[in-house]
Amino acid sequence: MTEMMKKRQNFYEFLSLVFEKEITASFLEQIRRMNIPDEAGNRQMNDGYADLKRFLAAPIADPVEELAVDYAKVFLGAGEADSKAAYPYESVYTSPEGMVMQQAWTEVCALYAAKGLTLETTQADLKEDHVAIELKFMAFLCEHDVEEQKAFLEKHLLNWIPAFAKRVKDCSRQKFYPAAAELLCGFLEMDLEFLKEWEQSHTGEHSTFSYVVSREEMNQILSALKKRYKVCAPAFVKSRGGIGDKVRYREISSVEEIVTDRPSDFSAKEMYYPVMQTMIYFSDTECRESTLADEREMLLLLHPCDINAMKRLDTIFLENGGQADSYYKRLREKVRVVLLQCAGSYENCFCVSMGTNIAGDYEFAVHIRETGVDIQVKDPAFAHYFSGGALSDYEPEFVSRNEKTVKLPEIHGVEELKLASELPFWDQYDDECIGCGGCNTVCPTCSCFDTRDILYDETSLDGERRRVWSSCMLDTFTQTAGGGRARKTAGANMRFKTLHKTYDYRTRFNREENMCVGCGRCVKQCPKKISFIETINGFTEALAAAKEEVH
Amino acid sequence: MTNIMLPEAHRIIRILKETEAEYTFRVAYDGETKHGQFFQLSIPKVGEAPISVSGRGDGYVEFTIRRVGRLTEGIFGLSEGNVLFMRGPYGNAFPVEQFERKNLVVICGGTGMAPVKTTLNYFYDNPSICKDVYLIAGFKDIHSVLFTEELEKFAKRFHTTYCLDNTEAEGFRKGFVTAYIKEIPFDQMEDYNVVIVGPPAMMRFSAIECMKHGVDAGKIWVSFERKMSCAVGKCGHCKINETYVCLEGPVFNYRKAQNLFD
Repeated sequence: MTEMMKKRQNFYEFLSLVFEKEITASFLEQIRRMNIPDEAGNRQMNDGYADLKRFLAAPIADPVEELAVDYAKVFLGAGEADSKAAYPYESVYTSPEGMVMQQAWTEVCALYAAKGLTLETTQADLKEDHVAIELKFMAFLCEHDVEEQKAFLEKHLLNWIPAFAKRVKDCSRQKFYPAAAELLCGFLEMDLEFLKEWEQSHTGEHSTFSYVVSREEMNQILSALKKRYKVCAPAFVKSRGGIGDKVRYREISSVEEIVTDRPSDFSAKEMYYPVMQTMIYFSDTECRESTLADEREMLLLLHPCDINAMKRLDTIFLENGGQADSYYKRLREKVRVVLLQCAGSYENCFCVSMGTNIAGDYEFAVHIRETGVDIQVKDPAFAHYFSGGALSDYEPEFVSRNEKTVKLPEIHGVEELKLASELPFWDQYDDECIGCGGCNTVCPTCSCFDTRDILYDETSLDGERRRVWSSCMLDTFTQTAGGGRARKTAGANMRFKTLHKTYDYRTRFNREENMCVGCGRCVKQCPKKISFIETINGFTEALAAAKEEVH
Repeated sequence: MTNIMLPEAHRIIRILKETEAEYTFRVAYDGETKHGQFFQLSIPKVGEAPISVSGRGDGYVEFTIRRVGRLTEGIFGLSEGNVLFMRGPYGNAFPVEQFERKNLVVICGGTGMAPVKTTLNYFYDNPSICKDVYLIAGFKDIHSVLFTEELEKFAKRFHTTYCLDNTEAEGFRKGFVTAYIKEIPFDQMEDYNVVIVGPPAMMRFSAIECMKHGVDAGKIWVSFERKMSCAVGKCGHCKINETYVCLEGPVFNYRKAQNLFD
């Protein structure tokens, strides 16, 4: 962590302490000893600091006691009519009823849980959206992704702290808490600016080199790459019986094997998240973790949708719950990404609608043409493979228009989610969908799995635990040992899948993007010709109509 | 790299038959557990499933398992002294500190008593830290009654109502738990919490019934039983929209639970 990030973290922790509970004598002493600047980042901070100085200089007989009284009055509403207090919970400022434990609370709970954090405070009654807890979370985030810090500031803290600060001002007798709230407000504004600038200065384009090589040269380069990497690309895979050959990811040796005139039937995820993998080997008394049979690094030639899809799987397997899934991680770490330029927008693509038509995270890009191959190298470590080629000014082109488009549902708050869940729209799938799970199998972002224990023979307890892809469209997906099922119909499963792909992910992880990357593979796969494009559009329309009806 | 899904072997100390279908396994365990948490239990022959801690003692945890489904058939092939593979504890817990110094109402159906039983025992053993405890426990019939000894024990210190779905028996009234909620004097209690655990429909109707009698959703706590293959937020089975039951649950305040649309 840089010094600046550490400083920010400290300040968030300090502000959290100010609001978490009554100020103790020693903490007040600590504040007195602080070096309070005259000129801080902005006017609000200056005002806050100035008022804080005035409070500290004022002759107050028992400041700790006075502050405790003010704390109870301002934040707990002690001795006041309800409306007079500045309750320090986000929900109070963002829910229509002004109540605690509403949507904002649910959202921050999910964010904390996604990081594997649980509420830790000495104060028994604090809820997760308490100002002190949200500030603690920001302090935690300071060690993590800047994008997430920005999002939390914008979507949560800055969404209510200005209103909160105003109310603190109206409710306090002493200058201390209004000063602290003003300071907090100013600091958050300044911090957001800082993060924006930091991001800009850190995402500047690195220099790239572009080349053009003939197909023969490319094949030589491939064989050089294959000495170190397992090079995998979409290619025909013979099916049993030779009918209905599929395009899937497999190891290739020549440009001629790579299929670019159509999308692969299966996504690339099977390379780093296989359909089946052994987790543990066990006997009757012990178990041990499996190891990888193939330790080679992989070069995966991926279209932008599949590069974006890999980030979705990363979120689930590496981030959700705060701990990484080691079975996923050990393979994922071996992946090096090669951008495979699309030959055009394929039949069922709707990547533009999903914002996944572009990808920037790759080591080098390739554009395979009839007569040759264009290459752009981003990672200098790969440059020497292509140094024999002629320099060019190639830059990868991205699809900017699809024939198919989707309009995404707009769901704000619990009431609208309830409305979305209860739409009669879903019932049509009770008959239409046969619950085969084919859509999940070809999906590049479906991550669900089951575990199965296999015994090698019936006379011993030696065996292995395997994990296999699961499917939320199977009727047994939510079935517990007792036989009960949380979702009982194909329509309910379709609703679950659709919301998962177009709402849940961005809500839980506080992202702009959705789980679905618009690759359209599920559209082609469905034996009942159910188009997910039509499902999304139909849902969005039905929800909009239902919302209209409510108003 | 830490493998968060690697189970550990633990010795089975005792197996107690509760009913024809249910057994309680006492397993050696020294770690900490909180009230309402669960473990992923695995039996090499069949697989893994989430099972609540139904009892806790010095150096052991207990699990009460029903003989249905693939997992739970296998477990009965085990005997005392054998090894049980498990990992955990997982999930959040009932906010027991919040229950202290207040009345507590517990409504449970069938095996739903398992996840809340350590909480009941905690207040049974420490009567001074809480006000009156009301317990309504329902079972299908007399053969399905679980934890008989503890039911008798609880009756001595708590206000208890035990009932059977369609029959009457000594110590048991006839009817669903929902029928007896009206007997709880909510309006005479200064402050209280309500814990409801059981099958989904039972929890929903019990919560509705409580709210009909003036209980605020924020005072109600439920615990969800879901299929889980991982319990660490990866396998996807327990997800309800943006909520993962294994991570944010299994215990939910009803303000949240009533907005989980399955």
